[in-house]
Amino acid sequence: METVNERIDQIVEEFVDLDAREKLELLLDFANRLPPLSADYLAKKENEDRRVHECQTSVFLWPEITDGSMHLVAEVAEEAPTVKGFVAILSEAVASRPQNEAQELPDDLLEKMGLADVLGMLRSRGLRAIVSRVRRELVEAE
Amino acid sequence: MAEYADPDVLVSTEWVAEHHGDPTVRIVESNEDRALYTQGHVPGAVEIDWQVDLQDQVVRDYVDRKGFEEICRNNGIGNDTAVIFYGDKNNWWACYAFWVFKLYGHPKCKIMNGGRKKWQLEGRTWSTDRTTYPKTTYSAPEQDGSVRALRDEVLKHQKAGKNLVDVRSPEEYSGERLHMPDYPNEGALRGGHIPGAVNIPWPLSVNEDGTFKSAKELESLYCKANHLQRRSPTIAYCRIGERSSLTWFVLKYLLGFGNVRNYDGSWMEWGNCVGVPIIKGSLPSGEAGDDTTNQDS
Repeated sequence: METVNERIDQIVEEFVDLDAREKLELLLDFANRLPPLSADYLAKKENEDRRVHECQTSVFLWPEITDGSMHLVAEVAEEAPTVKGFVAILSEAVASRPQNEAQELPDDLLEKMGLADVLGMLRSRGLRAIVSRVRRELVEAE
Repeated sequence: MAEYADPDVLVSTEWVAEHHGDPTVRIVESNEDRALYTQGHVPGAVEIDWQVDLQDQVVRDYVDRKGFEEICRNNGIGNDTAVIFYGDKNNWWACYAFWVFKLYGHPKCKIMNGGRKKWQLEGRTWSTDRTTYPKTTYSAPEQDGSVRALRDEVLKHQKAGKNLVDVRSPEEYSGERLHMPDYPNEGALRGGHIPGAVNIPWPLSVNEDGTFKSAKELESLYCKANHLQRRSPTIAYCRIGERSSLTWFVLKYLLGFGNVRNYDGSWMEWGNCVGVPIIKGSLPSGEAGDDTTNQDS
């Protein structure tokens, strides 16, 4: 199994040579891969406050550790495919990896992917805040 | 008031579907989410992004005149082209792009009523084609200051007790909600509102399907419930100027306000600006009151 670092590198490789439109198409592919919430998590959504309130988009995140392995379960509104695709990337990067690899989630992921210029400063800042939050919560999770 | 002040400024989804091949028309999509256009757009539409295309990437301002002309040329928009804007989020960003086009005096601008939401609800076809048009010529005038309010103008306006409309949520208006310091996305150091501003959250202007409310409903909301007068100079603001563009559009084109400007700096500027007056609480004056809502329509 690859490390978070290796997975991030592979994902970046997929993006880097594409033009703006192709990058967005690939991001949409990732968005389509984020699984819908299971019944358990739909119930948690009702009972826990896991909404990212700072975000204008409806985003619910559950960064969790099970037996030392990381998982990021998430729900992102359909009308925000950019955010959904980005969260899907983070989810795939950390899935089943040990908690100490949470630190490998990079702040400059959008720049590495060549998406920062495509999305613009304000959107990029918002997405960077999601990386920061996910990383912090995974590091602190028990 | 039975009809909108400028009823021709809105076009229906039906009209757009019939006119997408019309060479005198250019349909422009502008969204909060950059991937939506790629996912599917109105056939024949081009994308003009409010953030990447219409804003200067170094100075916090809009593209200059030459930059704007370039955008129009590259999208096959001539000075006589009727530009029809639409987008996600009940046309917030479409109104923002519309406002920028008006800043540069483009004569024929319209909004597709209902935006992406209505197109989707009606089960209309989306295109994934890469849409391009031959370059045109375009010549823009200098910016039209009459649609835009800058910070010092807002301060003067506020001191003179003139109409201010804060279109943010009640929690942002009262100062209860402030973005956390870790999330500087659209955060400000201080919460509250500009003293004297009435709070008319923008969602009150639109229906469930994304279309604008009727002239009668809008008049009731803005003029009756909130005592705004058509003849009085009015400035609208929000957090970064996009929701207030929608309200600016409503006041100017649907209700016929003669002198209304968008304060695009909005709370991101005001809430971080040294020394400007700010007030907290649910009323324009900030006093604790009987909590009478000013949002009844």
